[in-house]
Amino acid sequence: MKPFCSRRHFLKASSFSLSSLALACLLRDEGLLAAPIKPPLGPQKFDLSPKVPPLVPTAKAMISLFMMGGPSHIDLFDPKPGMAKYDGQPFPGDIKYDNAAEASSKVFASPFKFDKRGQCGTELSELLPHLAEIVDEITLIRSMKTGVNNHLESLLALNSGTFRGGQPSLGSWLGYALGSETRDLPAYVAMTDPRGLPQFASQHWTSGWLPSIYQGTQVRAKEPRILNLDPSDHLLGAAQARQLQFIQGLNQEHLTEHSGELDLEARIASYELAARMQVSAKEALDISKETEATRKLYGIDVEATRDYGTRCLIARRLVERGVRFVQVLNVGQSWDHHGGLIKALPNSCNAVDKPAAALVKDLKTLGLLDTTVVHWGGEMGRLPVLQNDTGREKVGRDHNTHGFSMWLAGGGFKRGYAHGETDEWGHKAVKDVVNHYDYHATLLRLFGFEHDKLTYQRNGQELSLTGKQNARVVQELIA
Amino acid sequence: MVKSSPHGSQARNFTGERTNRGPVSVAAALLLHLKVSFKIFLMARRLIIALFAAGSICITSISGMADSSLQPRFETDIRPILKAHCFDCHGEGEKLSGGVDLRLRHFMIETKTDDGMVVVPEKPDSSVIVKVIESGEMPKKQKSLSTNEMALIRAWIATGALTVAEEPHELPKGFLITEQERGYWAFQAIVRPPVPAWTKTEGVRTSIDVFVLQKLREQHLDFAAEADKLALIRRVYFDLLGLPPPPEEVDAFLADGSPDAYERLVDRVLEMPEYGERWGRHWLDTAGYSDSNGYAEADSVRAHAWRYRDYVIRAMNTDKPWNDFIIEQMAGDELAGVTQENAVAKAADSRVRELLVATDFLRMGPDGTGDDVPDQNVARNQTIAETLKIVSSSLLGLSIGCAQCHDHRYDPISQVDYYRMRSIFEPALDWKNWRNPAQQLVSLYTADDRKKADVIEADARKIDEAAGQMRKEFLEKVFEKELSKLPEEIRESAKAARNTAGGKRTPEQVALLKKYPSADVQGALDLYDPESNKKVLAKQDEATKLRATKPPEPFLMALTERSGKVPETFLFNRGDHEQPKQKVEPGELQILQSAAAGAGLSFSKKDTGLESSGRRLIYAKWLVSGRHPLTARVLVNRFWLNHFGCGLVNSPGEFGKQGERPTHPELLDWLASEFMANGWKLKPLHRLIMTSAVYRQSSHNDASLRADPDNRFYGRMKLQRFDAETLRDSILAVSGKLNKEKFGPALPIARDDAGRVLTGEQKTNGNGDPTIVEPIGERAFRRSIYVESRRSLPLTVLEAFDEPVMSPNCAIRQASTVAPQSLMMLNDTFIAQQAQYFAEKLQAENPGDVRSQLNKAWRLVYGTAPKEGEVLTSLVYLAEQGEQIRARIAPTTVKNEAKKSEKPSTVSQDPQTLALASLCQALISANRFIYIE
Repeated sequence: MKPFCSRRHFLKASSFSLSSLALACLLRDEGLLAAPIKPPLGPQKFDLSPKVPPLVPTAKAMISLFMMGGPSHIDLFDPKPGMAKYDGQPFPGDIKYDNAAEASSKVFASPFKFDKRGQCGTELSELLPHLAEIVDEITLIRSMKTGVNNHLESLLALNSGTFRGGQPSLGSWLGYALGSETRDLPAYVAMTDPRGLPQFASQHWTSGWLPSIYQGTQVRAKEPRILNLDPSDHLLGAAQARQLQFIQGLNQEHLTEHSGELDLEARIASYELAARMQVSAKEALDISKETEATRKLYGIDVEATRDYGTRCLIARRLVERGVRFVQVLNVGQSWDHHGGLIKALPNSCNAVDKPAAALVKDLKTLGLLDTTVVHWGGEMGRLPVLQNDTGREKVGRDHNTHGFSMWLAGGGFKRGYAHGETDEWGHKAVKDVVNHYDYHATLLRLFGFEHDKLTYQRNGQELSLTGKQNARVVQELIA
Repeated sequence: MVKSSPHGSQARNFTGERTNRGPVSVAAALLLHLKVSFKIFLMARRLIIALFAAGSICITSISGMADSSLQPRFETDIRPILKAHCFDCHGEGEKLSGGVDLRLRHFMIETKTDDGMVVVPEKPDSSVIVKVIESGEMPKKQKSLSTNEMALIRAWIATGALTVAEEPHELPKGFLITEQERGYWAFQAIVRPPVPAWTKTEGVRTSIDVFVLQKLREQHLDFAAEADKLALIRRVYFDLLGLPPPPEEVDAFLADGSPDAYERLVDRVLEMPEYGERWGRHWLDTAGYSDSNGYAEADSVRAHAWRYRDYVIRAMNTDKPWNDFIIEQMAGDELAGVTQENAVAKAADSRVRELLVATDFLRMGPDGTGDDVPDQNVARNQTIAETLKIVSSSLLGLSIGCAQCHDHRYDPISQVDYYRMRSIFEPALDWKNWRNPAQQLVSLYTADDRKKADVIEADARKIDEAAGQMRKEFLEKVFEKELSKLPEEIRESAKAARNTAGGKRTPEQVALLKKYPSADVQGALDLYDPESNKKVLAKQDEATKLRATKPPEPFLMALTERSGKVPETFLFNRGDHEQPKQKVEPGELQILQSAAAGAGLSFSKKDTGLESSGRRLIYAKWLVSGRHPLTARVLVNRFWLNHFGCGLVNSPGEFGKQGERPTHPELLDWLASEFMANGWKLKPLHRLIMTSAVYRQSSHNDASLRADPDNRFYGRMKLQRFDAETLRDSILAVSGKLNKEKFGPALPIARDDAGRVLTGEQKTNGNGDPTIVEPIGERAFRRSIYVESRRSLPLTVLEAFDEPVMSPNCAIRQASTVAPQSLMMLNDTFIAQQAQYFAEKLQAENPGDVRSQLNKAWRLVYGTAPKEGEVLTSLVYLAEQGEQIRARIAPTTVKNEAKKSEKPSTVSQDPQTLALASLCQALISANRFIYIE
């Protein structure tokens, strides 16, 4: 926004070319305009230049470690010691099952041990020993709720604001609101699992009806890491540089015939930028220059954590270089432990616990944690009763979106704080409930926006991430 | 007492209406040396308000201003704000909250609240309205007013709370249209303005030029010189066809020295069949054309929509008059005398088929009712709402969607108006007797095919029944097994409970099954007993296979009504279909009805002789009657926009207050009346516009570029970036691969492993993930308009260049300039492949003759031969690049396995061909190709 907003630019521009946007810029320079610039009707140019939010932000970037499938909060974050004596007994309340064939009403007390951790004394499961090391850095929300019992709807709620499909995802909103701090990398990166795409694939990083420049860029774990980053083999390297030079030669000559045409200049710049992106993206994805200690910290030296550690480290590198929003995704919905939970859940935790904790530690060491939100959580939690009652080894838990947990660190979230409660069974959030829209309103506040004022005009409507839901900023979560 | 200013006429307006003159204040002094124009003036006002808001200048400086025209007035400045934020509870709603009515100034200064008077003229700090608004207390549970709005109210009170005219004593309850609202430009009848006298010169060729030149001169600008002939032929081709002119055509045109060579060119190109593919696309944007149903997660395929696409293309090519075109789309079924009951029989006639397909215009909105949706009734009502959005934005240029829940906040459109309009469509879109997408289809089977199919169906049903029986038996076995797991003493009661239907169970039975949920075996055989389930599925599969032997059944999608059934329409409280209120009769929006020239819309004489309600037919005829204030204006504005890249009203779907004002209101009306006078035919309008001096200008005019970069005054032809389809189609055209086959079902699209969406058949990989794209040969190279357009799965090449997402339609396209586009031009497999084809074609035509190859390449891409300097640069490039590539593809090069599989196998591995291909790719990536002069 800077160059566009200079007073000189304003005065240089001719009278009738001045848009209300230009005026808004002037007013902002004069410190007179508090509200964000609303995109007016008609054709608009959208860009990713960095923008100043209307309120003082604490967060500038975000890394979301999205645990698709729904990690069991009852076994990880939300201890219910009272359930032990009911283990195997009929559940006394009402429960909605998704899978009738495997449904059981028997209470399934967590087989995992909880202990108080850190200075703050927040209780965590033995399955997350590394999270225990950074528990004093995080806000743990134990009263999350979306209230719909299926993966997709709940994912959409947490990632795109409502249960309806086709809406822009969180990262797209942030790109739209704040642009990017880097011109050489995408503003919004979705890092997929080497084993495959997450369930519902590109819905995770869709820009919905926002302009497609705000869509997340998928970074794959194998080549081609980023679509269209490399040419065919025979043009790699110097050959492509030569080709680009040729294009720009044509463009420069064309520009001299049309001097002053900003669109042409912009496209010439976009080719330069594309070339820089090729170099920068490669550099950002290349962790070979990271120290042995860093690689160890993220668990890249160990098979179990190598992949996730690598992606967490890359996420840090991206944010360091000015990327606004990074989401790290797992394959399918691998946290969906309907069965075999006793073995599968520890395995799932094992792969991500150390890297996730390392990310927080590393960001802190680099001084980036204060301005970077780290999010760890899935689209739901799980039920207090067991599923698939066919032997201890095979039991699991069904979906639960009425009460579950997730944690956040950095960017203005409280440290060493646990928020909200579920009922005595961990089934429903009952105290200080945080709905998905409250979470979004809070996040946007940390990024410097009032959630209902960050809007996009479409078909005469002003649309926002939180929509018409009764969202509130959860002040208690904010440091 | 009513204060009224002697200056209170035209020029005073803080919000941007009809203000065209006036000095500006001290606060905007920094702007004074600039040309005082429309926008500047407005900005000066806004700036004052902003300064007000910031408290930088005191109130007295406003009242002490030399020109009282800067004093805000109630009707023009304040009422629109209060209407937008407050009228719901304070004037137009059912209840009058706190007894405070804000609809008139004198109501406000006469109403006392607990905290004082609502408005005390000249004393904003004593006025309750200022207090509650600035503290954020009001509006309740809604967005606060903006700082500008607050400052304006403050300024209005401080300067005496003036009105424009004397106010009435009383107002009838509820929604009211004011004189100011009636006076809004878009609601005035279309009157053909007189054209100032002119004589034909090079600078003025048509009446259009007179209108444009007048405004241009006011800006101290003039037309650019006429474009050279090369620029003109390219402009005409890209504009009318979306394709580059073939080199032979360019040569012929350049060689044609006759004075009417250009006019004949326009005539010739207008008759080419590709014209309909280009201009049909514009209308498909407006109509929200999509090959998928949207709304639901599934975004299921809308397999028969293509017939509508073909109908639109044909209508364009035959220059179907737009009054007929609109009537057919709005009411083709009624025109053909078709109802749901007789649709199949009548569809035997080809004209009836055409009319039925035309009604797909009303089937274009997202419709999830055939898919898995959380609430069917919500989905149905949403489909109706989206359809109304498409109708109103495309034909009225108004967004009426917000009036679904409450009176429109900015335009004089009441909630009743909305449901009046809905009532026109309700007999066809009856949410209580709904037809989902599958049920909207009309079979085009012949009697013979029908018979054959019936025989096969009867056999298939028998197999279905057998499968059903198998399933039932397996489920019983499963249940026996589940039962055996229960304690013996409760087995009998568990059995009784399970065999009792859900709603009829006793509390004991419910409790029992709650305790043993897995004993409630009702279905889900796949979960209980996968092996048996497979057997059932295998049996079902037999039926599927048998059904596949039926003669293929063609369908068309249509909108029809049920004979003699006219549902009642109710106003829904807050738009909620579960809260119906008063019954509403069909009708035009009140403001448009009263704005009509002559008689407005009337449904009273329902003497159509139709079995359907006739509502849509009557409404459609009214829209194109020539008396409607908006339809013709909205249409010609869009045509103008598509020629010039910028509308006379540059918010083509929104002519209401939230939209833009026309830059050339007289021209807009003149074009609209000219269009109607020419029988609503578009091609004569094309001729008129394209033969004007405005259109024939060159894109070079420094004065215009500096003073008017957006070219709102048309002092040059603005460079226009290719839209998505033009880019893809033109690349196919120059590579020689363009497949000109017309019409028919959409080309399939599929997602590949890297996430690209390409033309091809979708196949799954070993894991069952849909990541394989099976090529479909030369079919893949058809024009973009024939490629399946799924709302959730845009073709990657098109998406990158701003192909619109249809939700529900697209009023105006974006033209972004972002690095991923450049990366795509450099590295995308489609682009690289086409460049390769291009190079091979050049080599085949002129083997061994590189100069001739280069010459042809330039002529294909840019329409003209390269300059000698360009030839030399290219020759050096080819030599160097050839060496680079030779080194890279030397057999020793280690190939990355993963990468290899991503890239298409290049047809040739000859370094010279590859070098030429990389040059071809550069040519089509350059601005000279991507921007139309």
